[in-house]
Amino acid sequence: MKLAFVTPRYGTEVIGGAEAAARMLAERLCLRPGWEVEVLTSCAMDHLTWENTEPAGTTTVNGVTVHRFPTASQRQLDYFDLDAKIRLAPTAVGLAEARRWVALNGPMCPGLVDAVAVTDADVVACYPYLFATTVDGIAVSPVPTVLHPAAHDEPALYLSAFRQSFRHLDGFVYHTQAERDLMEYAFGNGAKPQIVLGLGVNDPAGAGRPGGELVGLGDRPYLCYLGRVDEHKGCGMLAEYFIRYKERHPGDLALALVGPVSDKAPDHPDIVVTGTVSEADKWDILGGAEVMVNPSAYESFSLVLLEAWSLEVPVLVNASCAATMEHCGRSGGGLWFDSYRSFEVIVERLASDDGLRRRLGEAGRQYTERYYRWPSIIERYTGFLTDVVARGPRRPTRLKRLVQPDAGREYVRRG
Amino acid sequence: MVPVEPTPSVASDPSDPAERVRYLAEVMAEVDAEVSRRRASGDIPVGLEQELDELFLEFSPVGLHGKARLRETLSLVDRSAYVDISVPVASEKLVGTYVKRLIRKSMGWYIGFIVHQIVKFAWSVSRMLHVVVDHVEDLEAAVEVQRTPPLPASVVPSADPGAAWWAPAAVEALSGVEGRVLHADCGNGSLLDALIAAGVDAYGVDPAGAVIEAPVGRGLDVRAESLLDHLDVVADDALAGMVVTGSVQWLHPNERDRLVGLVGSRLAPGGILVIHSATPESWMGSISPVISDLAPGRPLHAETWAQLLGDRGFRVDGRSSGGADRRIDHVGAANPDAAALNAAIDAVNQALLGPGEYLLVAVRER
Repeated sequence: MKLAFVTPRYGTEVIGGAEAAARMLAERLCLRPGWEVEVLTSCAMDHLTWENTEPAGTTTVNGVTVHRFPTASQRQLDYFDLDAKIRLAPTAVGLAEARRWVALNGPMCPGLVDAVAVTDADVVACYPYLFATTVDGIAVSPVPTVLHPAAHDEPALYLSAFRQSFRHLDGFVYHTQAERDLMEYAFGNGAKPQIVLGLGVNDPAGAGRPGGELVGLGDRPYLCYLGRVDEHKGCGMLAEYFIRYKERHPGDLALALVGPVSDKAPDHPDIVVTGTVSEADKWDILGGAEVMVNPSAYESFSLVLLEAWSLEVPVLVNASCAATMEHCGRSGGGLWFDSYRSFEVIVERLASDDGLRRRLGEAGRQYTERYYRWPSIIERYTGFLTDVVARGPRRPTRLKRLVQPDAGREYVRRG
Repeated sequence: MVPVEPTPSVASDPSDPAERVRYLAEVMAEVDAEVSRRRASGDIPVGLEQELDELFLEFSPVGLHGKARLRETLSLVDRSAYVDISVPVASEKLVGTYVKRLIRKSMGWYIGFIVHQIVKFAWSVSRMLHVVVDHVEDLEAAVEVQRTPPLPASVVPSADPGAAWWAPAAVEALSGVEGRVLHADCGNGSLLDALIAAGVDAYGVDPAGAVIEAPVGRGLDVRAESLLDHLDVVADDALAGMVVTGSVQWLHPNERDRLVGLVGSRLAPGGILVIHSATPESWMGSISPVISDLAPGRPLHAETWAQLLGDRGFRVDGRSSGGADRRIDHVGAANPDAAALNAAIDAVNQALLGPGEYLLVAVRER
């Protein structure tokens, strides 16, 4: 069985997000006997500019064959004007304008779309929903095609261009039940073949060092955030809440923000920012934490929760994030906050209650072991794709490819 | 501050999913109670608390998904209703600051006049939205009181439909159908296995999340949803066939009406509907008293289904009876009153007893 992933960008440099999830699946799937995997992607690594930074052609990344095609243009400033307009009432946006939004969102990659049209794969998997490569890939694919949407409840999801496109899919693969509910609500695709798969978590790979020493906190207890330090991930809110907490609860507790820094965190004696750390350091820092906090409201899966639970570390999540709330509700491995008040009460309680932390951590570990280990994930995924292919050849879609927008002023990334 | 109670060192079994859910609910209830107590104590100045709450909202999705939070969305409107005309004048160059300040000052009377009207309009809209939200919440409360509680999934025994007397007839009716076939209340998925073995592209739904773990583990496409919730997210004409069992017997009349409408639109023309149900006569005697007491509705006669479906463009193609046949035996001929007694028994058998279940096969004609 040959599977072709279609993603807007691909590579070990892409940290987190849907494209990294595609890479995790591809790298494990290509090790499975009888399975061949290739990736069709752009030469871009920056999802804001779509600048061609990688050479076109075929390479191998961690055992996976990757075919790169240049983007036809970089992101244009017109995108931002149209994006602001569609945000107001996305369901009222006409099909032509919605397709223009998708084209402006990019990446427009004609060579990639040509390659999908003549693919010799048995099945195509597009990942994630939001991009031109997905809409065009679905339009031209000659073989059964599935989508990993990695969808959030955002205005773009309701554009008619996606509705028109997704009608022609042969299956959907979701990260969580919450994502399935959202997609079914938005697209009425309940009768289509689908699976809630998620991602697998690796075995902990720490070196057994005290996490506090690695982040310069010695033996002080600490909360840990793991991921890109970014306002949109809720890090600013987390830092602000933590500073208020410390004003009202002086003591040893610290906060470690671990990951590449997009937005500077406030300077505070109880907050440390590590920047990017090695895999081994990550596991050790996580293992030493009292609690792993994920303040982001926009997660589609949140692998870091499962990594924390692998080490029996309890988690604290944002109550407005459907994906992390679902993990906590199903596992019993974490609590959630919906205001500073609840943040304060929960942190106070978790910091002082060993029994609660142990119990949550153990419940999270059991959940992770049961549902999110790679062998069972790959087993279910291959079974699903085999069933999709067994349903027979794909009917031609009669969908047209997106039209390359007229050249306009290009967006330039600052900083 | 009141210290929160630590968790007892001897806790109940964390490996039991129901126990985990209960425990989590208990902890979060304690957290909520403590949050309410602290809010009431006013130990954080109101302005600061509001600022911190708004910080949370700023990073929360307010999407179009059905359950967007009214009050929180409204607070975003309120926050946006004020337009600040004090344009920032800071500049990297000294002259820039001066020029900006000059422009702001000279334009102030003009911008202020327009902004005043915009703010007035925004506040009017905000006030109207507050009235609307109040009304919506009143309506929701009134509707909630009138809502018929659904039958708890926990009281319904898990089903093994593949082993039922009607399973072969259902498989036969759907064999050769091209397209997706839904089995509602599919239980352990045994009928799905039989349908798939017969070449049918079948999938299932069942409201009991615990029940579906086994069929999902076998690689079947089975979702933890009620039939009505599922049909709500299925496109028109998307299904080639449906098998409706289990809860169809005790749907509330309003829900049954909704079901008939949804079946009529989700099944493609030519699509096949298979309904299995107990007869009303046998249901009270054979079903668990908990179900019969708590069920929001009662089964229909096969003739009633045929009538309802006929009104929606279905043609009934087949009907069969089966299940427990609870008939009273005739008395022996030696009994001097045998003729009269047996006539009475026949009347009772015909009116009240006989086969306890039926299977109806219908085709959507238009």
